[in-house]
Formats: sequence, C-alpha cells, structure tokens
Amino acid sequence: MNKKIFAVFALLVVVGVVVGCAAPASPTAPPAAATQAPATKPPATAAPAATTAPTSAPVATSKPAAPGVVKIVYWRALSGAPGDAQEEIAKRFNASQKEVEVEVQYQGTYPELQRKLQAALAARVTPDVVMFDSPQMPYFAKNGALAPLDDFAKGADSVDLKNYIPGLLADGYFDGKLYALPFARSTPILYYNRDMFKEVGLPDRAPETWDEFADFCKKLTKKEGAETKRVGYAVQMGTTTAHWYFQELLYAYGNDVSDDKFKVLIDQPEGVAAAKFLQDLITQGIAIPGTGPDGAQGEFTNQRSGLHFGSTGSLVNIVTTSKFKVGVGFMPAAKRRQVPIGGSVLSVMAASPKEKQAAAWKFIKYMTNTESNVYFVQKTGYMPISTTAVNSQEMKDFMAKNPEFKVAVDQLQFVRPQASIISVPEGTEIFRQLVEKLTVGKVDPATAMKEAAAALTKAYNETFK
Amino acid sequence: MGSQIRLPNQSWVPGLNILRLTHSRRERLTFLALIAPNFILFGIFTFWPLIYNFYLSFTKWNMIAPTPTLIGLDNYATMIADPIFWKVLGNTLYLATGSIAIRLVLALALALVLNQKLAGRDIYRAIIFSPTFTTGAAVALVWTWILHKDLGLLRLPLNLLGIVSPNWLTDINWTIPALIIVTVWRGLGYDMVIFLAGLQGIPAELYEAARVDGAGRWSLFRHITLPMLSPITFFLIVTSIIGALQVFDLVAVMTGGGPMNSSKVYVYYVYENAFKFFKVGYAAALSMVLFLITLAITIFQTRLSRRWVHY
Repeated sequence: MNKKIFAVFALLVVVGVVVGCAAPASPTAPPAAATQAPATKPPATAAPAATTAPTSAPVATSKPAAPGVVKIVYWRALSGAPGDAQEEIAKRFNASQKEVEVEVQYQGTYPELQRKLQAALAARVTPDVVMFDSPQMPYFAKNGALAPLDDFAKGADSVDLKNYIPGLLADGYFDGKLYALPFARSTPILYYNRDMFKEVGLPDRAPETWDEFADFCKKLTKKEGAETKRVGYAVQMGTTTAHWYFQELLYAYGNDVSDDKFKVLIDQPEGVAAAKFLQDLITQGIAIPGTGPDGAQGEFTNQRSGLHFGSTGSLVNIVTTSKFKVGVGFMPAAKRRQVPIGGSVLSVMAASPKEKQAAAWKFIKYMTNTESNVYFVQKTGYMPISTTAVNSQEMKDFMAKNPEFKVAVDQLQFVRPQASIISVPEGTEIFRQLVEKLTVGKVDPATAMKEAAAALTKAYNETFK
Repeated sequence: MGSQIRLPNQSWVPGLNILRLTHSRRERLTFLALIAPNFILFGIFTFWPLIYNFYLSFTKWNMIAPTPTLIGLDNYATMIADPIFWKVLGNTLYLATGSIAIRLVLALALALVLNQKLAGRDIYRAIIFSPTFTTGAAVALVWTWILHKDLGLLRLPLNLLGIVSPNWLTDINWTIPALIIVTVWRGLGYDMVIFLAGLQGIPAELYEAARVDGAGRWSLFRHITLPMLSPITFFLIVTSIIGALQVFDLVAVMTGGGPMNSSKVYVYYVYENAFKFFKVGYAAALSMVLFLITLAITIFQTRLSRRWVHY
C-alpha cells in the first residue's frame, strides 16, 4: 500500500519536472507575439518593447464607491499618447457627473487585451467596457459576450447615431444590432519619399491609381548589377498588417472580399486580377516583401523603397524617423477608391448588471462625443469620428497646421469597414499566408485566391457559423 | 526508574498508537512532509492545469461561451488530418535536432579550449555565457537586423567567403536554419558552462594514470573525457530537447511562423489556436500530444542512456 502511494508520488514528481520545464515557454510567450501588433493600426507610439508582463487580469474594483455611485471598469489598450489621452478623458468624465465612476485599466496591446478578456470570460470576472480592434468585436458579439446598444442609443441617454461618420459606425454592427461605438479609428494612407521622387523626376504627389503606382515603382527602382539597391514599394507581410493593405487593393479592383452573409468572394475575376497585380510588382523586381524588425516601414524609412502604405497612426513616427521629406496621399484607386478602416471600437459587456451597463453606455457616449474626440484626435493623430468633430473649429485649426493629417481626414469619405470574413478568428492569418503565397511563394494567383477562399470558408463554417 | 518513563506515543494516549512507527515509515513520512510545500504548489500550478488541459482536449470551446462542449476524440482526429500540424511537428523536430547537435559540439569544443589556462579566459567565458541571460524578445529583434539580407551584419562574413546572404527570414528554405543559428548562439554559453563544470569534475589521476600507460591526447579525450562527461552530456541532451520543443519567443518576434508556415513551430501553433483562432479545445489536444512526445523522448533517452552514460 505504502509503496504504491510512494510510487504514485514519485511519478507525479517526475511528471511535474517534465511539465515544469515546459512552463517557462508560456509566460514569455504571449507578450512576444504581441510585439508585432503595434506596427500596424495603433500609432507607432505603442512601444513594441513594453511587453514582458505575464498575462494576469486584474479586474477587481478596489475602492468602495460612494453610495449611489455606480462604479465601472474600463479595459483599454494602446500605450503612450493614445493611452494617456484615454486616461484624461476618463478623468474628465468622472469629474463631469456624480452618478458614474469609471476606473481605467490598461491591458496591453489589442491582442493582449483580447487574450485577457478571453481568460476573464472563462473565469466569469469581466470588466464593464472594453476596447476592441474593430474586426475582433463581432466574434465576441456573436458569442453573447457583448450587450446590444440599440436600446441605450434610443433611451434616456440617447445619442444621434447619424452624427458618427457612416463608414466608422458601420462596423459597430453585427447581425443588425449595434454592439460598439467607434473610438480610436485609423485609415491606411500612402506615404512617399519626396526627395526620391524629385531625384527620379516624378511629380510631387502620390500616384492616383494602382497602374500609376506601378509606373512610379518602376521609376524608383535602382539596380546595380544583380543587386537591387532600391525598389518602389515593400509589401506589408506582418500577421497584423498584411490583410489590411491587401483588402484595399481588392476593394480598389472592385472586389468586395466577402458579403455580409460571410460568403467569400476573393476568387472572383476582380480578386484574381488584383492578386496578379501584386505578384507582378514582385516579379518585375519593382517591389519586395518587407522584412526586418520594422518590416515594410523600415525599408521606407531607410530609403530602400520610395512608396509606403501605413496607418494614419504612424504619421508622426514616420515623419520623425525619416531623414527625408515625407509626402502623403490617398490610397490608390483602380475601378474605385475604397479604404478599409482600422483601429478600435468600444463595447459594453453583457455579463455586467443592468445598472452598470447603463453607466457603461454613459461612459462610451462621453468617450465618443465631439469634445472628447477632438481632444483625442489632437493628442494622437487618430481620425475624427463624427461630423461635428470634423467641422469643429479646433479640428479645422488643427488640420490647417497639419496638412498631412488633413489628407487622412479628407480620405474619410472613402472609408468602409473591413470585410466581414476578417472577423473570423483565422481570417487575418489566412490573408497573411495568401500574401506570402503571392509574393514569396510565387503561387499562381488564381490558385492562391481559390485556396484562400476555401480556407476562409472552412474557417467560417468551423468557428463562426 | 527507567522503566517508568513513557514515550508520548505509548498507548495510554488514545489515538496516538498511530505514531508508533517503524523507522522506515517515519522516514517516508518525513519525506512526504518535506516535499509537501513544493508539491502543493506544483499541484495547484502544474498538475491541476495539466488535468484540466487533458479534459479540455476532449472539448470544443472558445473560452467565451459559458461552458466547453464535449466532443470526444474529435480534436485528436482533426490533428491527424491537419496538414499544418504535421508541418509544424516537422519544423519543430528540424529545429530541435539541428540546433542541439550544433550546440553540443560547439559547446564542448569551447569548454575544452576555455578549460585551458589561457589569458583572459574568464572574460571569454562571460562573453560566451552572456546571451543566456538576455530576453528572448530582445534577442529576436536584434537578430532580425543581423539577418537582414542587404543591411544585416551577418552578410559581411558571408560576403568575405564569397557567399551571397540568403533572404533568411523571407525564404521558406532558410527560416529554420536562421532560427537554428539564433538558438545555438543563445544556448551555447549555458551548455559550455555545464561542460566546463563537468570537465573540472574529472579527477586528474585518471589522466595521469592513462598517460603512464602511454595514452595520447586523442585517447585521453576519447577514453576518459568523453565517458566521464557522459552524464553531463545526457543531462544537456534531455534538457535541450525539452527546451527546443518549446521554442516560442524567437518565432513570435522574428517570423510569426511565416512565410507560408515555414517557421511555424509547435508551441506557436498551440498559442495561435488558443488565442488567435479561439480553438481552445484543439490547442489543449495539441498540448497533450506535445506532452506525450516529450515524455516519450525522455523515456526513450533514459533507456538508451544505460548503454552510453557512465555514472
């Protein structure tokens, strides 16, 4: 008997050692992955290095609230200027009224926040308001984690939804119901190296169309023997970037990527044509896959490419790290000009009791009102989200001082949400592998698009349907 | 008088009979008491997650829905039919065998050199050991620069040898070799220090006796150093395999598993499934299989070690 117990103990200890050795991988793991995130939609100030904390999820509302005050917890992402600006707006909100007190808790990058939210939902200890990278929201809404906001929008604390810029409000909807309000929104814009343009005799403006883009790329490319010294464009390859820019190309070519019933359309002729266009840029040697720690942006700031797509949120960073004059312009058009919107939205958790949900609504209404939005935009470079914000005097003054920023705001008329299929959890990864197949793998465009469409449909059926 | 003294574990205190233990029993209890604190922590933070993970591997769950759904062995069946699973397993074994072989040979060579009385050897030891205590993410970021085809430092020595640097991180044939280089660089110092400790533990008399018998340098190495180092070598092989099967940070920062899954390793795939694809059950099943693979390799090596390890 004793021997048996002893043996079991010994075995467990051995297992423990084996597993224990395994343990170090997991705590270091998620932060490392998350370092890739800031490169894209959030502004570059979201420092990629600040990552090493293990993923614990502090939820508890600590201080006891004064009687009658509803305490709510807001989980935010984004560090640096966009983080500080959120803290400031929350402080103003708390000072502006006496019914609701919000506590802001920083949870890291978008993917980190999402992982913690997953854990919090499993543990059933959730915050009241959360920030989502916009395409991630529908999956949580679909799984019942988020509270529909339509009744709040019409209720005592009503808000004029028409005031939000339509392309920005649109991806707050899932299945006909409103689940999120737009907050820190960004769009891709085209950056170009003005010095380099001058050197090769190009006009001081961004290319209007994708065809012109290809011409510009040709002129910018410089070869010395077999070695390519410079190309027109470095393609975004990252796990959180590839899908965003490729969608714009597909949209421009007249392909809708997927419809609102999640039917995948990328393998249609326009989609294949767009894919072929991208591949041809690589084959002709006038574009390269962007590598290195800063990916495509590094190639651009190191003057190894002359044209670059980047988030409006990277504006300040690109202008300050470049040793040359930077110009900005609209994303190129083909059959049409349509730009997929990025950045984050605010949602209310379904698990919160009714009075906290109502308080949470008050808070996100405040976060997205004209005054808060104008403040946030000026501090961070994110997009204004409402017509009143765009038309406000402060915003006009701000744009007069920052002409590059004005380009991004003018481009807002062309924005539309990212394709529905991006919200399928595997969506971004499948798109990224598609871009890899086209640029690195030299896979035939029709085949690559067909395989990706099949993979997306399968992923949708398995995890989203 | 002496017979009057009663030990407290005598039967006049009811219930204390149990304390009248034989010597070996008492030792066993002491053993259990001593391991208990450690064991309880292990229980909460290792065994319970392990058991829970085992349960999750039979479910479908995204951690958002309130409860997991039991689906039996489906996750394991999916795995067998999942081409990426096999690809990832292959990548992981390629990385593990490649890096461990190079690491051990280089580390032993360095240890032999730095075991000599050389000027400044402590400095060399420190330099070679230093990558061990650097952060994985930082190492990975620096290496993405070093490996850059046209700007990286590594291209310079390659160019001197007349080799054009490959596209380390974007060519599907070169991503794993690139990861092997970084893994070797990072693990070399640790292996070397362990080997050094082993070398210094070999009694000098052995060498003296062998020299008296006329053994040359190679014979000394082959018949004394290597066998005497075998327990150390065995330890290093086991721990580095376990470590290599769990590479994550380098891949996450340097390649994100790309391009086209060419550098996707096992633990990264587990992470992706659990936290990006919301397939928590599948990720749990993958983890179980990795656990079994690790256990099997370790048991196999322990068996095999009886033939070549001399204690």
